[in-house]
Amino acid sequence: MSALPQTDNQTAGGRPARRLNLRDAGWLAAPAVLLLAAVLVYPLAIIVLRSFSEPEPGLQNYIWFFGSPVNRAVLQRTFVLSGWVTLASLICAYPYAYAMTVVGKNLRLILILCVLVPFWLSGVVRTLAWVILLQDSGVINSILRGLGLSPVKLIRTQLGVVIGMTQVLLPFMILPIYSVMKGIDTRLLQAARSLGAKPWRAFLQIYVPLSLPGVYAGAIIVFILSLGFYITPALLGGPRSTMLSSLVQNQVLSLLNWGRGGAMGVVLLVATFILLAIAAPLMRQKHTQTRREK
Amino acid sequence: MKKINFGLAVMMACAVSVPALAQDKAVAGEVAEGSLKGKTLTFVSYGGIYQDGQVAALQDFVQKSGVTLLNDGPTETAKLQAQVESGNVSWDVVDTADLPPYVHCGTLFQKLDFSKLDISKIPEGQVGECSVPAMNYGVVLMYKNDTYKDNPPTSWKDFFDTEKFPGVRAIDGSGDPVGGLIEQGFIAAGGDAKAMTADDIEKGIEKIRALGPDTIYWKTGAESQQLAESGEADMIMMWTGRAMTAVKNGAQYTPVWQDWLVVMDQLTIPVGAKDPDASYALINAYLGKEAQEILTEKTSYTPINLDSKPKVDDATAAFLTNTPERIKQGFQQNIPFWVKNFDLASEKWSALLSGN
Repeated sequence: MSALPQTDNQTAGGRPARRLNLRDAGWLAAPAVLLLAAVLVYPLAIIVLRSFSEPEPGLQNYIWFFGSPVNRAVLQRTFVLSGWVTLASLICAYPYAYAMTVVGKNLRLILILCVLVPFWLSGVVRTLAWVILLQDSGVINSILRGLGLSPVKLIRTQLGVVIGMTQVLLPFMILPIYSVMKGIDTRLLQAARSLGAKPWRAFLQIYVPLSLPGVYAGAIIVFILSLGFYITPALLGGPRSTMLSSLVQNQVLSLLNWGRGGAMGVVLLVATFILLAIAAPLMRQKHTQTRREK
Repeated sequence: MKKINFGLAVMMACAVSVPALAQDKAVAGEVAEGSLKGKTLTFVSYGGIYQDGQVAALQDFVQKSGVTLLNDGPTETAKLQAQVESGNVSWDVVDTADLPPYVHCGTLFQKLDFSKLDISKIPEGQVGECSVPAMNYGVVLMYKNDTYKDNPPTSWKDFFDTEKFPGVRAIDGSGDPVGGLIEQGFIAAGGDAKAMTADDIEKGIEKIRALGPDTIYWKTGAESQQLAESGEADMIMMWTGRAMTAVKNGAQYTPVWQDWLVVMDQLTIPVGAKDPDASYALINAYLGKEAQEILTEKTSYTPINLDSKPKVDDATAAFLTNTPERIKQGFQQNIPFWVKNFDLASEKWSALLSGN
């Protein structure tokens, strides 16, 4: 505490004061950091260790993983499916978040509730609800049949899994986009219009770029959460939509092969990091572009 | 020889010095009054009505022995392994699936001392080195009445014959490989299940794969029941308990009993359990005639005490698997074979279930 006035004296002005706040915040984060170390870093370290050490030290688990066509196919499928889910969430979330910024107070409250209420229900319950909707004799197909249309195969297909996962993950896309959109100064659009831009052009060239940070944040959260999904693909999918988490579960819970299960987890983690590393500079670039346009 | 003599001497010494404790022989269903007072046992099973029924069956034991019974679950071998490896085993009696007690006998599950258990009333061939059965049930082939009408399937061979019996199949994809079904697949492919080798596992699984991309692999018992009640599949491989409930709820399906697959849950004591004698006492009480009657009345699973005469309605009775006729029709998977080839079978099964 005695350091406080000292720092103040050292450097006057706005910037040092901000640095000081950061240091305070650092202290506040200590419990969270400790908790993370205990429940995330430590177990993760053990998983990594076991993937290299069980049943004997070496790379055997990784050689096994990449040597098996099943594992490779499922890993690839996991990323592809997650990509589809991210895209579908974005398509649903963007207009929704936009609507939240333009409607009146009461309607906005209802829209927010619609996003949050599913959070209060367990994912399993929501997924089972989708089973009832999507199955061959389910609600959607009954309606189609009633309209004289031919029923579609929804359950136990990748489409069914994407629909179910999108619904479960939608709030994670809507909320970041909304929080960014909320802060966009709509006078910029008016300015663009007054300079002769057509509405759609003002929207695409001014509004969309300004909302991109929210889109990126939402997309990354949804994509990463999708990669680890287990319940929804298991209940809504068939063999062709099994994701990597099911194989991990099989290795650890039924074969007690912690080494292989760990290796699969590590592969997924590293693959995610690589993808983020590729995406991060891309986003930064976009971001600066936006600023320049501003 | 020396060892035996020593053991005998100890036993005799005990019998002489503490006659009050000397029980001649364990009798299924019985426990000495107040013998476990102040002790706590943690019983681990799969939850739902099954574990509720098990707890109800153990009420008499709890009252007589004075033990405090705690419940935990669901059973996960990986969790048990973590406990055994860390030397901190909090589970005392664990209900498991068919194979784990055979696969991990002596490493995760204790080799049982059968002088402390009365296994005389258990159906033949069900007691393992590390386990006694917890209950019996079956896997039956249920077919949809509407689809097959006058020409229904009568065996697993028909289940695998998609030409004569077209329609969507549903298979137990809830976890471990189902040895009995792979064996039936191998038989349908023209093999002899009794002479199966490791290479034949693939042949059996290939037969399952050949059922086509429409095949449904259900993940939970509830899902299989839901498939029947909504009529989603034409032939469903189902656990008898779920089949019975589906029929009670109005599902228009009929069981094929020829070669129904015999399945059992197992009761085990983990290696490193805190008070094995108390665990033995629980299991021994569980095996009793009345306890098994209560279990069946509450859960509809088949009792594993031959003397048990549970009072159940007709619908439940129709799905019990311990009548002489059912015993004759049952198909027992080759447990030693699947134990030996567990890893390989799991690998291939998991490939089947992930669409490769």
